[in-house]
Amino acid sequence: MRTKQEYLIRYKDGNLYCELADIWIDPSKPVKKALITHAHFDHFTFGCEEYISTKETAILLKERVGDNIKIKTFEYGEEFKINGINISFHPSGHILGSSQIRFIFAEEKWLISGDFKLQKDQTCKQYEIVKTDYLISECTFGLPIFKWDESNKIANDISKWIINSPEKTSLLFCYSLGKAQRLLNEISQTNFKGNIYSHGSIHKMNNSYRELGIDIKETIKIENKKKIDELKGSLILLPPSLSKGSYLKNFKNIQTAFASGWMSIRALRKRSGYDKGFAISDHADWDGILEVVKKSEAKNVFFHHGDSEALSKYLVEKESINVLLFGK
Amino acid sequence: MSLKKFSELFGDLDSINSTNNKIEVLKNYFLSNDPIDNSWAIYLLTGKSNKRFISGRYLKNLFSQIYEYPQWLIDTCYLKVGDSAEVITLLLKNKTNSRKKKLSNISLNELLSQTIPALSKLNEEEKNLEIKNLWETLPEENHLIFNKILTGTFRVGVSIGLITKSISKLINIDEEIISHRLMGDFKPSIDSYEFLINKNINLQELNSKPFPFLLANTIEDKIFKNSINDFQFEWKYDGIRMQLIKRSGNVSLWTRGQELVNESFPELVEKMSNIKDDFVLDGELLVWNFKEQIAFDFSLLQKRINRKSPTRSIQIKYPIIFIAYDLLEINGRDIREFKLENRRIELEKYFSKWQIKIENNVSDIFKICDLIFPKDWPDALTFKEKSRENNTEGLIIKKKTSIYSSGRKKGIWWKYKVDPMQLDAVLIYAKGGSGRRAGLYTDYSFALWKDKELIKFASAYSGLTNIEIKELDKWIRKNTIEKFGPVRSLKPEMVFEISFEKIQISKRHKSGIAVRFPRITKWRKDKKINDADSLENAYELMKKIS
Repeated sequence: MRTKQEYLIRYKDGNLYCELADIWIDPSKPVKKALITHAHFDHFTFGCEEYISTKETAILLKERVGDNIKIKTFEYGEEFKINGINISFHPSGHILGSSQIRFIFAEEKWLISGDFKLQKDQTCKQYEIVKTDYLISECTFGLPIFKWDESNKIANDISKWIINSPEKTSLLFCYSLGKAQRLLNEISQTNFKGNIYSHGSIHKMNNSYRELGIDIKETIKIENKKKIDELKGSLILLPPSLSKGSYLKNFKNIQTAFASGWMSIRALRKRSGYDKGFAISDHADWDGILEVVKKSEAKNVFFHHGDSEALSKYLVEKESINVLLFGK
Repeated sequence: MSLKKFSELFGDLDSINSTNNKIEVLKNYFLSNDPIDNSWAIYLLTGKSNKRFISGRYLKNLFSQIYEYPQWLIDTCYLKVGDSAEVITLLLKNKTNSRKKKLSNISLNELLSQTIPALSKLNEEEKNLEIKNLWETLPEENHLIFNKILTGTFRVGVSIGLITKSISKLINIDEEIISHRLMGDFKPSIDSYEFLINKNINLQELNSKPFPFLLANTIEDKIFKNSINDFQFEWKYDGIRMQLIKRSGNVSLWTRGQELVNESFPELVEKMSNIKDDFVLDGELLVWNFKEQIAFDFSLLQKRINRKSPTRSIQIKYPIIFIAYDLLEINGRDIREFKLENRRIELEKYFSKWQIKIENNVSDIFKICDLIFPKDWPDALTFKEKSRENNTEGLIIKKKTSIYSSGRKKGIWWKYKVDPMQLDAVLIYAKGGSGRRAGLYTDYSFALWKDKELIKFASAYSGLTNIEIKELDKWIRKNTIEKFGPVRSLKPEMVFEISFEKIQISKRHKSGIAVRFPRITKWRKDKKINDADSLENAYELMKKIS
């Protein structure tokens, strides 16, 4: 077995790093060259000299942080070379533009899954199975209690939740990029035909999605001084950061909900402080992670993002897959 | 009328925070379901019985066997979820795609009166097969209810008061009456539901039931503005609150938890039967120190509570007394509408009448509570401070003009409890919580110094705010020395103020002491572990009390 230093990709200062190409993946501090899997803020930091991503990720990033960054873009599947290493982006199904990144060097394949899901999502490209020798996978929901329902079922639950309280304004909290657009897309196909409002941060992302050719239902940008009557019976999408504090005082007679994979657990639902929880996630559930591990045909697997203890033990015991520890 | 509707009701009640909406949902459920299903729903929601058919452990083992899941994986999931029934429900998702015909129309009644009781008649192998079969045939949305009922862990955020309110709204009859009808035994049946919703308010059946208890609220400062003469003062005993009922010659003892406990206290039933009058008394059952005329510790009472048909020697070893606070009914006449001061006059009158008759022979097992007469509020405070000396918890203060209504009515009765005892202790172990605290470390053990060593003296899990719990949880994960299953031993660094009600010698604990109702009252971030108290301090505290 090789030592940690001899792996093509390893952990350095808490980030994924490929020494041969001197390139970092989703680094949390400024570096020279950074590969970005997708445009969520926990995968991006300011101050890198150069960023490399898919075209969609680049556009979303610029929309969020301004044009002041230098980004080189590649299409899905398009190979590019750095220091003799072949690198390519592949759809990961997480949000628009999100990707897995494959490295090939001396006939050895490495795959970084990025954040991913296998479930259908009409707002982004479906996850692509990529074969690899080494797989570095996220495992945010790495326990078998996580098993997602079809997203149209959740959308129907949300629709029912709004329709059953016509006197109330329904506030649905969700991440502004990705989750909000997926929900809009799904909800527009349900029985709920009332007005949908969205917070500025979500509204902005909706527009970017449309510009990138994704069909997103038109929403009304929420103004602080909307008349209460107008909002009765309608749906408002808000980012989770606004769920605590004074923002909610702008509304009267509300019901609140949070859309997140964690909401499948009753204790977390209760603790979250929202009236209701809808278990919908842009990450893979347990079966999804297992499927990717199997279909990638990886002989060696690393996990990051999440508690991987149980998942690792299960793969070793049940599937005889070699699970390696990075050591952060 | 399917089980599905009850599952939906459970889901709604679980996710609605507003009381009014909960009442509305309950009302609608009662309106759209059979009397028999309604009756079962009330039975479950009021927690009248939570019989455990199989344990959570058994359920997990069974799942592990059937679906070839490693036990450790289920246990890991449990730590995150905190409820066996829910873990198995989540794990069962999409697992049961069998071709078997679904039991989509099974009713709550069928499940509870037939399907589940039938399991107890099977041997283990048959039982396992039948549970598997039910998992495969019950529609998925009913799995949680089914697993919860099986493991006796069905609970949802609904109080008896809320059920009472919704039935009261449903039929437009006063809550007090519904609350009375819900007292005592409740056997699910069409009749019991019809009885609950009967519009005639003077039903004979009420005779077999205790009255709803009136409860005291925690003292409020505004009470001190009133004249002391407006109130009646009693000691707050630490026993079992009880209604002692004698109607048509039959005596029954009903606890506040609405259990009939005649069998545990036969000597009381026997003696009270000697009295000629019929009556309903509200009072407290205690194990009594007749020599000193004070109550023995609650721990002695525990030796009697769960023991049915106690022997003569047990009765002598732990002698009981019933102390009456109040008279609610006399010879068939409900006097709850009388003012307290007038009820007291009646109580004293009848008590002396009963006591005088030698053949009654009740004086060694029954008395009425002595009243206290403080001159002014500071004097009341002095009485309160003395309450530990006679083994009481403080004072009960009652408005003399109050009628005997039900529940925790505001502004009528107050409890004025003696201040707790406190020690500063060091956090040394933490364990994962269950239920809504699942996935967080919320059960803590605390230690006191003995020379240079920290000795565990109490465990507590209440008293911190949710924000503090999350902060401490983070700290615990970073400062773990060792893991033993769900328990972590921790770097001794955090000091907490622990409050408790009683302290006594205990041979069972390494520390040599046991405390009652320990809880966290302050996170002493200002203190270092060397500032924490020692076992010696605890012994001194104990000496001071006794």
